[in-house]
Amino acid sequence: MKEKPLQILLVEDNAGDVRLLREMFSKERRDAFQLTHLLRMSEAETHLAKGGVDIVLLDLGLPDGHGLDTVRRAHAAAPDVPVIVLTGLDDEALAAEAMNAGAQDYLIKGQIENRALPRALRHAIERHRMQRETDLIRTHQMQFKDEFLSHVSHELRSPLSAIYQFATILRDGIAGELKPAQHEYLEIVLRNVKQLQSMISDLFEVTRLQAGKLIIELQCTSISDAIAYTVDTLQGAATAKGITLSSDIECLLPSVCADPTRIRQILVILIDNAIKFTPANGTVKVQARRLEENPNLMVLEVSDSGCGISADMTERIFERLFQTSASEGRKGLGLGLYICRELVTRQGGQIWAKSATGQGSVFSVTLPIFSLPNLIAPAFRKKGCENSPITVVVTEIGSQTGWLSDKVRAEQSHGVRDVLQSCLHSSLDVLLPKMGVAGAVELFFIVAITNEVGGEAIRKRIGEQLHEHIQQASLTLSTSYKSLGPTKRSSTDSMDDCLEKVASEIQGLMNNEISSRMVEHG
Amino acid sequence: MANKKILIIEDDPDVLQGMHIRLKASHYDIFLAGDTFSGVAEARKSEPDLILLDLGLPAGGGFVVMDRLKLIPSIAIIPIIVVSARDRLENQKRALEAGAKAFLQKPVDDAELLAVIRRVLGEPAARREQPAVYDLGSI
Repeated sequence: MKEKPLQILLVEDNAGDVRLLREMFSKERRDAFQLTHLLRMSEAETHLAKGGVDIVLLDLGLPDGHGLDTVRRAHAAAPDVPVIVLTGLDDEALAAEAMNAGAQDYLIKGQIENRALPRALRHAIERHRMQRETDLIRTHQMQFKDEFLSHVSHELRSPLSAIYQFATILRDGIAGELKPAQHEYLEIVLRNVKQLQSMISDLFEVTRLQAGKLIIELQCTSISDAIAYTVDTLQGAATAKGITLSSDIECLLPSVCADPTRIRQILVILIDNAIKFTPANGTVKVQARRLEENPNLMVLEVSDSGCGISADMTERIFERLFQTSASEGRKGLGLGLYICRELVTRQGGQIWAKSATGQGSVFSVTLPIFSLPNLIAPAFRKKGCENSPITVVVTEIGSQTGWLSDKVRAEQSHGVRDVLQSCLHSSLDVLLPKMGVAGAVELFFIVAITNEVGGEAIRKRIGEQLHEHIQQASLTLSTSYKSLGPTKRSSTDSMDDCLEKVASEIQGLMNNEISSRMVEHG
Repeated sequence: MANKKILIIEDDPDVLQGMHIRLKASHYDIFLAGDTFSGVAEARKSEPDLILLDLGLPAGGGFVVMDRLKLIPSIAIIPIIVVSARDRLENQKRALEAGAKAFLQKPVDDAELLAVIRRVLGEPAARREQPAVYDLGSI
């Protein structure tokens, strides 16, 4: 069978180099290669986008493109076409970088041998093809694994459900009186069912993490509440093992910018682990404070008096499926800390462990502190603090039944946020994250850099845009706005002082809005 | 006062039986169905006060059941609680939008199941049946 000629695109602006390369190709069989020559990167991009090119020979110093940028542009125009870069003798470092940026190979001008050229081209094409294939296989494998995990965890839940149901039916005496030993054994069955259940949840969670499906809703979150909730929840498990679980929270702790559900999840994993690896009569302690080195960060610590981790393992424990030898006989998938690390980093924090074998462990998590001045800063930097008018627009979403359940709240808040975001007056206006729990309703705050007239315009727009959404979901909507007078700000303040002042005014206004609803609804 | 009637539509016979025994012990009258078609038929016949509905059912599925029930005025108002092994993240929203009162993920904690049933039926909650707070599955 006769092979089709190889379509080569040469992008080179030096006439001498072009002549040399042309000469080399002319010595090959006529039907083996077909050379197209272009002078500029922009022309090359257009040509590549049309398709049909098998390989690109690319100079790195073109009139309209230079260095690695040209490689990236060639790649962007035709991701499937391999690129060989042409460089001068003194440019080998650049050539190596080009390879990192996706080039298949490099040829040094003046050192290209006649007979080596066609071979280099063919090899580059073949290598590129193999690489694409491997990538494709890997993508398919990942996809299959995700679907498989999701399917398996679903299928495991039904039989587990039946085991749980009948074990509790027996335990609760619905099928007849039990002897104490029988009762105890059923408790063991149920404890293991719980274990399996949490493993399945972990599997699901990991699938979600990797598929990018995990929802994290950042908001102004109280760490003290999250700690109190989790410590309360796990107190039973600690007491059952004879472990003292306590918390020590600095008073007047600022809020963090995080998702409260995810914070509780992180704390549950860390405290649960601590209890697991601490023997009877041990202690587990949860602490929170501002980080001394960086006042923008809060640090959460879970420390225990357990078996500890050898120093060389403190990094590896966060890897997926990692289990220490100490975890032998303890049940788990080795996913908890991995999930933890993912959740922490996705909220802009860090997690690490300090430990030594036999001396207990301390797990530390940092989270960004919620800061209103930082949120509104971009607008003021641009507009100037002392003169810009500020209007706070308050949107209240309630339920027609009088009480907005947590479920509906969670379901609706994303949709409402999207609509509100589209109602902003200018790109400098800020839709604040959730600022607090306001009794039976949900409150959304917009800080707009505008006066009453602008506030009214936003209010009207919100009414129009949200109307249908609200009707469909049987919700109620009311919007109001309040402008802050510029009088309290003086032009002698520094930008930071000014921001602090404005922020505390806004905060005061929001606190009033929130607390008035708390009273209204008890 | 007569016992409240609950219809359970669930295709796994073991889970179905387990729920039956558990709820009968809490003094509800129970009706059972194992697939989409008989679920709708049984709802018409027994006119229950509440329906516990699985999502993965033969011959259509839980969402189809909800659509069919909506078309029959006498039973369209019966409250539905979805009890499913499917992923909460992907199905809870859809179930609530379709009109379900609650979404519970299998395995459902007994106390939680009873508490949600009581709430939906408007019955006073029994103290010992407050839902267990520590449930990793629901976090």
